[in-house]
Amino acid sequence: MGQTKIHPDQMYIEGLAANDSAIIQTIYKKYVPKVVMFIMNNSGDKEHAQDVVQEIMILLFNQAKANTLQLTCPFDAYFFLLCKRKWLNELKKTSNKGVTINEDVLSMNESALKLITNTEEFDEKQQLFDTMFQKLGDKCQELLKLSFTTKTMEEVAEKLNVTYGYVRKKKSLCVGQLTQWIHEAKNFKSLKNN
Amino acid sequence: MNEERYILFDQYLQGEMTVEEKNSFEKQLSEDHELSSEFETFKEVQLRLTTKFEFEEEREAFKNNLTTISDKHFNTSKPKIVLMRPWYYAAAASVIILFGLFFFDYNNPTFADYDNPETAAFVERGDTNEALKGAQATFNDGKYAAAIPFFEEVLKENKTPEIQYFYAISLLEESKYPKAEAIFNELRSGTSVYKEKATWHLALSKLKQKKYKECKEILETISQDYENYEDVEKLLDELD
Repeated sequence: MGQTKIHPDQMYIEGLAANDSAIIQTIYKKYVPKVVMFIMNNSGDKEHAQDVVQEIMILLFNQAKANTLQLTCPFDAYFFLLCKRKWLNELKKTSNKGVTINEDVLSMNESALKLITNTEEFDEKQQLFDTMFQKLGDKCQELLKLSFTTKTMEEVAEKLNVTYGYVRKKKSLCVGQLTQWIHEAKNFKSLKNN
Repeated sequence: MNEERYILFDQYLQGEMTVEEKNSFEKQLSEDHELSSEFETFKEVQLRLTTKFEFEEEREAFKNNLTTISDKHFNTSKPKIVLMRPWYYAAAASVIILFGLFFFDYNNPTFADYDNPETAAFVERGDTNEALKGAQATFNDGKYAAAIPFFEEVLKENKTPEIQYFYAISLLEESKYPKAEAIFNELRSGTSVYKEKATWHLALSKLKQKKYKECKEILETISQDYENYEDVEKLLDELD
């Protein structure tokens, strides 16, 4: 990333991360109509478009918050293509018709494509993480939430009225359980793809 | 689960190892590919957890703000319109109403006549489930679009007829008919206390889509024991 120049449109990403209403409105005004048009011309309606856009915006927020989103191409192309691919994938899920989504490859430059792949990967991993987190028991979920919102593990132990050693161990094991599931899912996926 | 392994990972990341322990752990990492790959996943999980919880409130605020902006964008503005002053809205509204009077057959009952969702009250005191709280609050505020994602999250781990019922009402309010009707149908064929209520709402869904005949057929299947049977009778009357 170091050598690649960050595009001035990075301001949109920062704006999303900062929940800046003016920026969000600008995105809706400038870039969303194109997405709506595309979706409506491809077996969708306005509501589909609204949902797709909203999902992508939340995804961008999450990725920006995780500090892994640095725009190296114009926001316009990046955003449109993300929405487009999301919609085509939705269509693919509901219809038997094959949908080709590689037509853009030729018209896009390499850095934009790389960026889109990154974002889609981030999304996939996030979904996997969310699913697995929901699988954890209530105790683990609660402990992890406390551990990551409380300054020190000593305070966590105090709040839960247990010993420091116990929460430390328990936390490692809860993170470990998540790690194990996610690790297995990843291995399974790479087996499937090979 | 390899408990020792995760405890070790955590100790290493917290910087709690002695120099020898640290060296030996790093040596293991460099030799054991499986171990180092799992360690990478462990670190990533830590990072996801940090972002999940650290930005939880900000994320909710963002989602709410986004929904507001999005609804405003999709409901009121055509892409070309830049800014509308309040009196334009009033003028536009009166034009729409005039047209409405001309073109709509107001002999037919409308969904709006019967649209009075009950208040949701499924959060118990001391309940810490944020999604559940969010669902109830947004639902009772009439912010159905915002309520939908909350319900979806709650349903992931806790699928009860009650939550399904309120989720489906939100979908209906947002005119997501196929999804809403699928759930109402499921409840209708079940045995929960939401059976008749779901049937009633299924009829309302047809009404909202102006499918009067289907609406009537469904209404006729509702038992007279249904608590709001007078509504059923009234609507049946109006449909005739």
